[in-house]
Amino acid sequence: MSSIGDQKNLKTHWRSLADLHDLPEYRAFAEAEFPETADPGGVNRRRWLQVMGASFALAGVAGCEAKREEVLPFAKRPEGRTPGQPQRFATAMELSGSAIGLLVTSVDGRPIKVEGNPLHPQSLGGSHALAQAAVLELYDPDRSQNPVQLAAQGPIVHAQKDKWSGFDEFVRQHFAGVKERRGAGLAVLSPASSSPTLTRLRGRLQHELPEARWLVYEPLHDDSVRAGAKLALGAPYRTQLDLSSARVVLTLDADLLGSHPASLRYARDFARGREVVDGQMNRLYAVESCFTMTGSAADHRLPIRSGQVPAFVGRLLQRVQQLLSSSVSTPSGESHVEKFLAALAVDLVAHRGAGIVAAGDQQSAEVHAAVHQLNALLENVGKTVNYTLDPSADDVSQVESLKALVSDMQGGNVDTLLILGGNPAYDAPADLEFAAALQKVKTTIHAGLYRNETARLCQWHVPQAHFLESWSDARSFDGTYSIVQPLLAPLYGGRTGSELVARVLGDAVPKSEELVRATFKALVGEKYNESLWRRTVHDGLLTESAYPAETVTAAREASLPTEWSEELPKNGALELVFCRDASVYDGRFANNGWLQECPDPLTKLTWDNAALVGSATAKMLGVSSQTLATLKLGGMLLKVPVYVMPGQAEGSIALALGYGRTAAGLVGGLSDAEVPAVGVNSYLLRGSQAMYVATGLTVEATGESHRLAVTQDHFAIDKVGVHERARRVPILVREAPLDEYLKHPDFAQHVEHVPALESMWSEHVYEGHRWGMSIDLTKCIGCNACVVACQAENNIPVVGKDQVLRGREMHWIRVDRYFKGDAERPENVEVAMQPLACHHCELAPCEQVCPVAATVHSSEGLNDMVYNRCIGTRYCGNNCPYKVRRFNYLNFHEELKDANREISKMVFNPDVTVRVRGVMEKCTYCVQRIQAVKIDARNHGRPIDDGQVVTACQQACPAQAIVFGDLADSQSQVARSQQDSRSYALLAELNIKPRTTYLAKVRNPHPDLAEVPDPAEVEEGRAQH
Amino acid sequence: MAVVDNTFNDPALRAPLITGRADLASITDTVCEITEQYRPPRSWYVAFIASLSLLGMLGLSIIYLIATGVGVWGNNSPVFWGWPIVNFVFWVGIGHAGTLISAILFLFRQQWRTSINRMAEAMTIFAVTCAGVFPGIHVGRVWLAYWLAPYPNYLGMWPNFRSPLLWDVFAVSTYASVSALFWYLGMIPDLATLRDRATTKIRKLAYGVASLGWTGSARAWHRYERAYLLLAALATPLVLSVHSVVSFDFAVAQVPGWHTTIFPPYFVAGAIFSGFAMVVTLAVPARAYFGLKNLITMRHLENMTKVILATSCMVGYAYGVELFTAWYSQNPNETFLFLGNRPFGPYAPAYWTMVTCNVLIPQLFWFRKCRTTPWMMVIIALLVNVGMWMERFVIMMSLTRDYLPSSWGSFIPTPIDVVMLIGSFGLFFTLFLLFCRYLPMVAMAEVKTVLPHGHQP
Amino acid sequence: MKPLIGVGLVVGALYVVAVGYYGGSPETWRVGYSPRQPVPFSHALHAGQLGLDCRYCHTTVETAAFAAIPPAATCMNCHQQIAPESSKLLEVRETYANGESVPWIKVHRLPDYVYFDHSAHVTRGVSCVSCHGRIDQMEQVTQVKPLSMGWCLDCHRNPDPHLRPPEYVTNLAWVPEEDAAVAGKRVREQLQINPSTSCSTCHR
Repeated sequence: MSSIGDQKNLKTHWRSLADLHDLPEYRAFAEAEFPETADPGGVNRRRWLQVMGASFALAGVAGCEAKREEVLPFAKRPEGRTPGQPQRFATAMELSGSAIGLLVTSVDGRPIKVEGNPLHPQSLGGSHALAQAAVLELYDPDRSQNPVQLAAQGPIVHAQKDKWSGFDEFVRQHFAGVKERRGAGLAVLSPASSSPTLTRLRGRLQHELPEARWLVYEPLHDDSVRAGAKLALGAPYRTQLDLSSARVVLTLDADLLGSHPASLRYARDFARGREVVDGQMNRLYAVESCFTMTGSAADHRLPIRSGQVPAFVGRLLQRVQQLLSSSVSTPSGESHVEKFLAALAVDLVAHRGAGIVAAGDQQSAEVHAAVHQLNALLENVGKTVNYTLDPSADDVSQVESLKALVSDMQGGNVDTLLILGGNPAYDAPADLEFAAALQKVKTTIHAGLYRNETARLCQWHVPQAHFLESWSDARSFDGTYSIVQPLLAPLYGGRTGSELVARVLGDAVPKSEELVRATFKALVGEKYNESLWRRTVHDGLLTESAYPAETVTAAREASLPTEWSEELPKNGALELVFCRDASVYDGRFANNGWLQECPDPLTKLTWDNAALVGSATAKMLGVSSQTLATLKLGGMLLKVPVYVMPGQAEGSIALALGYGRTAAGLVGGLSDAEVPAVGVNSYLLRGSQAMYVATGLTVEATGESHRLAVTQDHFAIDKVGVHERARRVPILVREAPLDEYLKHPDFAQHVEHVPALESMWSEHVYEGHRWGMSIDLTKCIGCNACVVACQAENNIPVVGKDQVLRGREMHWIRVDRYFKGDAERPENVEVAMQPLACHHCELAPCEQVCPVAATVHSSEGLNDMVYNRCIGTRYCGNNCPYKVRRFNYLNFHEELKDANREISKMVFNPDVTVRVRGVMEKCTYCVQRIQAVKIDARNHGRPIDDGQVVTACQQACPAQAIVFGDLADSQSQVARSQQDSRSYALLAELNIKPRTTYLAKVRNPHPDLAEVPDPAEVEEGRAQH
Repeated sequence: MAVVDNTFNDPALRAPLITGRADLASITDTVCEITEQYRPPRSWYVAFIASLSLLGMLGLSIIYLIATGVGVWGNNSPVFWGWPIVNFVFWVGIGHAGTLISAILFLFRQQWRTSINRMAEAMTIFAVTCAGVFPGIHVGRVWLAYWLAPYPNYLGMWPNFRSPLLWDVFAVSTYASVSALFWYLGMIPDLATLRDRATTKIRKLAYGVASLGWTGSARAWHRYERAYLLLAALATPLVLSVHSVVSFDFAVAQVPGWHTTIFPPYFVAGAIFSGFAMVVTLAVPARAYFGLKNLITMRHLENMTKVILATSCMVGYAYGVELFTAWYSQNPNETFLFLGNRPFGPYAPAYWTMVTCNVLIPQLFWFRKCRTTPWMMVIIALLVNVGMWMERFVIMMSLTRDYLPSSWGSFIPTPIDVVMLIGSFGLFFTLFLLFCRYLPMVAMAEVKTVLPHGHQP
Repeated sequence: MKPLIGVGLVVGALYVVAVGYYGGSPETWRVGYSPRQPVPFSHALHAGQLGLDCRYCHTTVETAAFAAIPPAATCMNCHQQIAPESSKLLEVRETYANGESVPWIKVHRLPDYVYFDHSAHVTRGVSCVSCHGRIDQMEQVTQVKPLSMGWCLDCHRNPDPHLRPPEYVTNLAWVPEEDAAVAGKRVREQLQINPSTSCSTCHR
């Protein structure tokens, strides 16, 4: 694999990139290989797979049958293409208007793995679960494949050879008419996009069709953020935070490390700030209603209802102002909130210029304004907080403009609606009744990856190209200009948004590459030349293209309430918070099995969403986990399963969006095929007045119950188990406050003392490498990037809700989540995250008991799992104290036998065996990557440098919590990390000598607030559920 | 002449081994007539059809299992072994009494064994057959199970001789073959008797072949006795070894609740315990149905109940020691499992059923009344078998909560699990009923040796 | 008579084992596999008589896991001039024209779960001939080695007799002047070759 950057690799990249797009023979190749452009039958696709067979077979333990096997070489092999050798290309993934840079690995023209682009300032090599799962989406057979026209007698699918002709003809005729009317009656509804190309075309459209309107809607919009900035700063400035140099961070319902568009960068910077440098580390205060990843990483977390946050900020502002004017702090009251406020204010003031206050999307513009004022008061602006202007950002409220549009649609003032992606019929505010309004529009056109709920209501639906198939560009949160380059020709012949707009504007045959290039030309001006363009495409970004920092100051007194009431709102006055889902985002990823099965970072919930309720509230409402409850809000009713969540603000109920899809696909729910929806559609409760936080919620238990597929706890925890778990957690996840760590840097060694242990087996001796891993619990934020990365790298199957309920999920690496503290006192609840994969024990218990020697120790200390030798006695699974071994109880790849799902096979990593039914599997330390690096190094007779072998989980980790390398090299990062005083081995008392060790967690509580939570109690709290 | 005291092994008065006015001929008749009568009692048919249908269910579910994958069971992670292994250990345990009775009691010259050893051995073989089914189908890829056998191959691979599972394969197969051989050898003279009495061609042929041309000459008898003695000596250590090795599957693993040094003796005791319980369960109705009351007398039954009582106490002791060791070791994982999770955890009901059935109820055998009332014995024996199944289940459920609370789980059996458990009884009873119908249920030749005539010059 | 029976039983048992062993071995059912190829390409002619180096067609063998089958373009390099009309080359010309693939039949097949890397062997002085035999003498390619796991292990456990100076790997006729084991030992020491027998070397 070529690390991008140096000239030599640049060239190889270049050549192969050329193969992919320019050389005529590639076109022939593409035609033959992506038959959807030719005919929709599965036959050619199978041939495609045979072509793949030229360089590898989709490996399976099933072994080789004695049937004749063909090798199909290229007629003319593209230059620089070596069959079976991976190549990597830089691209970018845009989500709700901001992009992250990616580096995609492609084998024989198949993108199979997504990584973060190390050169990109917004990912620095890290990535998140959503990006990791992109390849599965790319090969999703449920994706829209042909233009569909709605006619009286039902939908007409244009699947013939030139399937676009019908639509193109229609566009030509229809928009000729629209042009005459100067665009009157035309509305374009698009999701937020930072693509300069699209912005350029939008400008062209609005210039050529001045009567037309273009509006942007994102269900997870940032209206209040922009409004707040406007209030305080006069323009919709974007706030850029520098967490690396911040000492004190306060988040108000803001998930900086999880759902924030810049979360990857922030997670990296935050992790750096967690490193103890001369006795110092940053301190994070999280004030939030529902647990976020940020909250779980916080040193102090104050769970209050989102509705209380304004008052909280108001009081904080008061205190800060007092402190600044007369440095005497008002005596703190008795209540916990008072104490918290006092400590927080002092801390913020003490660290003036090195603090950050940030509020989240669901907070009001007023709160955001106040936050800007706070940052100004605390002199953070210009240091840890910077403001940039986003040229492409709208100055209007997405919700308001959508409202206006819908009323016009109702009024019949819109006759052509072009929906560029998105799914408003599903995710628009319920009270707008978008779907109904859609019927009033004469001509409706929807472009999208899937024929989703909206598409099914539009006269025309056309397939959009996946970002891995399309030429485009995008700007990341900090404004860095990134190129989106295709990894393969559109599988289903989809088109990019900009291509469609260009067509609407009457361009004959727009090529998105040309469109992007034109934008780029305009962007760089006279600096433009071919090599700059190539360099930009190769690197995936244009250096120094971030928005310049503006010097603005909040010149406005925020007006916020300051009265505070502690008492718990009655049923009927409860608060409902709609939150982004860690797996399906706003619902767009509902058909992605990897994401559906990826356990929520905190609830560990898969294949469902649930109403998160605090334990006191649950008692009040008489509900418990898995009871099906009716949520009543403004006349709307919704049946939702309850999940009792420690640390959830009492009186506030959190409900994830993005579930209950009825036209997502065979994975996420498809009513046409009678595939039930996954989870419940919480958009039905979401009105335009309260897009994020609604009050006046009534909750009633229905008496029914609903089984939730969680990968941990399974709710069936009795008193005995609860006490034991509480006793064990502090030993398993070792942590200490900063001052104790400074006093006893080796505290982790003394949590538990193990006598000198003798082994009855002689230990292995090693000449060469000794691979090992170290995981820093101080840095891990439990974001699940590693989980999905591992799934993508190692061909790990999706098993489905039923199997998860039976406890048969297959993830090789899991993130254990333990609660500490008193569930009855949410403010006291702490979370500990612990990623866990095979520890490759030196004296592995699994190796000893396998009767057929299918799992044995390698000469480099790996605990090899030999699938083809395994007969499935499962003895190793029993004997593994970490329970990291996964068994194929059934053939979890069954559905791939189906001809029209066969295309999903293209996502498989050819370097990893696909396991059949009846075989045990587990983490291999990405042995295929180790071997690749080793073979390459030995072929060239050079040694392997530290950091050359990178496991999938390590590569994905945005916080760089995982370190892998050669323990034999005492200078390697992992060796040094295992020498660290914080380093400890899990279950050392078993004398199994794990290869993976942990670095104990160091927290940094404020001295006035520091209280050691008693683990025993929280579990008590959970016990009742 | 009336036979008052036919026991020559003890001057003190004892209940006779054989009651009734039995003589050599009458014994032969009683035993042989069972197999010779034109058609067996209707009840036999009822029972046979019933067990045959259960066996059918087992067969079907096995086919389904192999076609679909072991996922049809409730097994999961962390409970990688579930009911199938519970059933395996249960049946292997049952398969102990037989060889114990025949071999060990034979070596100890316990003549009261003669009437019951044949039935007990048969039961052993059948139980081991049932046991054999489960590990066989338990592996994920049945079609590759032959890799467990050490044989030269082109992979250059050998099995892992460190694995208790491999020892298990050897132990059980050896035990099965030796007991079968022992049983068959003991049956040869009786088969010859049946051959000589046979009236139809088929019977003549079948028993003729089976009896390997037994002549009954003094020489034949001499050799026979030798061989029998040798085999008995050979089988005796196996009785103890097989269940010890089975227990290693658990004891050698490091799962809390499995990793215990007391397992081998504890398993053997438990096995004999359940084995005898099963013999009683079968012998009492059998002797009633087929009129063997004079051959299998109350004294035999009473002796067996005494063995049950003794072994019950051993098992009870083992339970106690487990708890003590857990407490005394102060190993937190052990303490939690034995003193917390088992008695009070989610599977506490199973634990207490086990204690009640295996330790408390058998204590009734202290009372002569219970030792001598057939229906009481049967009920107690049945409960013992329930208890012993529960014991294995409780052990298996140690898996639900091992080291990391994050991976704690639970086990819910599927219908297939249940069907297979019941089905295994179908297999067992089908074989047993066929045995009752076609083979001599009592070792005539041996019983005759304990008759006074047998000892007259 | 009786002893004969005993002997018979023993011999019979051995016979069964032997049949089972050799019957199941690739030695028996793989060696000699020689499918008819769509194009009658003769290695004997090209590699043998004409003395083309293996790497002229199998270009990636030293750098990649797969010794790629040459594209039709490679054939046409010469055959545009040489025998351009030959009927034997019809398929090659066609595919070259229409961009299709020549459906060659795979001869040396490994199970899907075996990850063999040509470059790792060729660059360490393991000659083509060790696994493929005298290809340069074959009119139609035939499998001559069992390619079974045991067979691989033989070499991985004792590589010396199979090693040669890397420059000779494609010279199938090459024989060392001295004892192969001695020559190989030198190569092994020079290139620090210590073949691994860990499972993950080939199974991933």
